[in-house]
Amino acid sequence: MMREVLTFRGKATAGTEFALGVAAAVVVLLLWEVVARLEFVAPQFLPPPSKVIAALWTMATTQHLLWHSLISSLRVWVAFLIAAAMAIPIGILMSSYRIVGAPLEPMIDFIRYLPVPALVPLSIIWFGVGEETKIFLLWLGTFFQLVLLVADDMRRVPHEYVEIAFTLGARPRQVMTDVALRSMGPNLVDNLRITLGWCWTYLVIAEIVAADSGLGFVIWSARRYVKTPEVMAGVVVIGLIGLITDQLLRALHRRMFRYL
Amino acid sequence: MDYLTFEKVTKRFGDVSVVSESSLAIARNSLVVFLGPSGCGKTTLMRMAGGLDTPTTGTIRLGGEAIAGPDRRRGMVFQSYSSFPWLTVEGNIAFGMRYRDDLHAHQRAERVAHYLKLIGLEDFSKSFPNRISGGMRQRVAIARSLAAGSDVLLMDEPFGALDALTRERLQVELRQIQAEEKKTIIFVTHDVEEAVFLADRIILFSARPARVIKDIIVTKILGATRTLAARESQEFFKLRNEVLHLIRKEAETVR
Ligand SMILES: Nc1ncnc2c1ncn2[C@@H]1O[C@H](COP(=O)(O)OP(=O)(O)OP(=O)(O)O)[C@@H](O)[C@H]1O
Ligand SMILES: [Mg+2]
Repeated sequence: MMREVLTFRGKATAGTEFALGVAAAVVVLLLWEVVARLEFVAPQFLPPPSKVIAALWTMATTQHLLWHSLISSLRVWVAFLIAAAMAIPIGILMSSYRIVGAPLEPMIDFIRYLPVPALVPLSIIWFGVGEETKIFLLWLGTFFQLVLLVADDMRRVPHEYVEIAFTLGARPRQVMTDVALRSMGPNLVDNLRITLGWCWTYLVIAEIVAADSGLGFVIWSARRYVKTPEVMAGVVVIGLIGLITDQLLRALHRRMFRYL
Repeated sequence: MDYLTFEKVTKRFGDVSVVSESSLAIARNSLVVFLGPSGCGKTTLMRMAGGLDTPTTGTIRLGGEAIAGPDRRRGMVFQSYSSFPWLTVEGNIAFGMRYRDDLHAHQRAERVAHYLKLIGLEDFSKSFPNRISGGMRQRVAIARSLAAGSDVLLMDEPFGALDALTRERLQVELRQIQAEEKKTIIFVTHDVEEAVFLADRIILFSARPARVIKDIIVTKILGATRTLAARESQEFFKLRNEVLHLIRKEAETVR
């Protein structure tokens, strides 16, 4: 085991990878605990992880932490699925037909560089402070990024595959669904996974400015009373949800694309 | 009988003339090799025959009918990206049949089985392309076109990336497949030996812009059946040297 992980560009078993990941986390947590207990830094700035875990437990048992997590996840997924459902066909069409790509590319590039927080006031004017605003902001942050990634994946489909399909009797629509979509599948799912991560960034912003539920709201309320362990607990939950989702999506990727 | 005909075909890309007025008639059920110096326009000619490019002037016809675009009657086999990596061997072979509504499910299954057998990959029917060798992948590409119902195979240096032995085997197999399935094949190669061994007829093209400079009926010299032993015969070497000489002379005109 020592040898394989020390070899230049070596490979390691899934078990070894997992063990190393866990070990690193434990070391960091222990260091943090020690540093915090020695109180080099005031505890309201840096509470030890044990306090954070304790806060996590109280929040979960008495302050509906699970419910808040669920609300946040739901917002992320609804916005993400809307963005993906729009970005996949539009992205594919953008790099398949110039009549779609040429007019949309500059516009999307422009909107893509607008920082989402700058659009919060506008969004509140348009949609009020309800769910629509949050979904809109998340959608805004992901759709325009994703559509360009999809267009790029589509462009990268080897032209040979497209031409072979034509000489096997396929029509353009069939080439798109039976060849292009299949060929870009692995990259597409990877990009979806990464974009879903960005969604969480915008979620926190949206929930801080306009919400009375969700993890962003929990973190922001705890901050008001300088309950640092609670603030950290909220952040940790987001991290954990991210980690688990990411691992599940990676597993799904492996299952979907066994041929890789 | 003329089957696939090039009639005064020219092709320009912008200012560059790539094919200069070429006329050519290819008989049904023959294996014709296009040979010519690198960059002379062989791929361009093939792509036009496949309907993937259009001639600037002139017409290409299949069975008298002008070629307007790609369809399943003319299948292409490229050197790389030749099989779909997300489909199994079986799935690749069946691919083109999904666009044919004249075949019943059992006919499709029969055809897949037939072509699997033809290329000798029955044991690999469930394998994905990245788990089989390069030679097997090229066999799959051939079978896929045939299963879709191609009458003409357009092969652009299909064995170019293979090792010498695999290449030799595939050459033998290709001639067998051609004889059994009665297909018309245009085969592009740089390799003179490959050309002489495979061809019923070799068309030698000039340096760019491509123009026919020599039309060699190989069957008249080497006969119709080729065995590996024929590869060592005196006639084979003589023809090979002759062709090599011609192509070398042509390649020199470029520099
Ligand atoms: N789409 C294109 N646009 C511009 N020039 C092109 C295009 N396709 C091919 N050419 C040019 O046409 C010439 C002939 O190309 P082609 O690929 O047909 O030659 P080839 O005989 O197949 O060459 P090789 O033996 O290297 O495969 C080359 O000089 C090439 O650069
Ligand atoms: Mg070429």
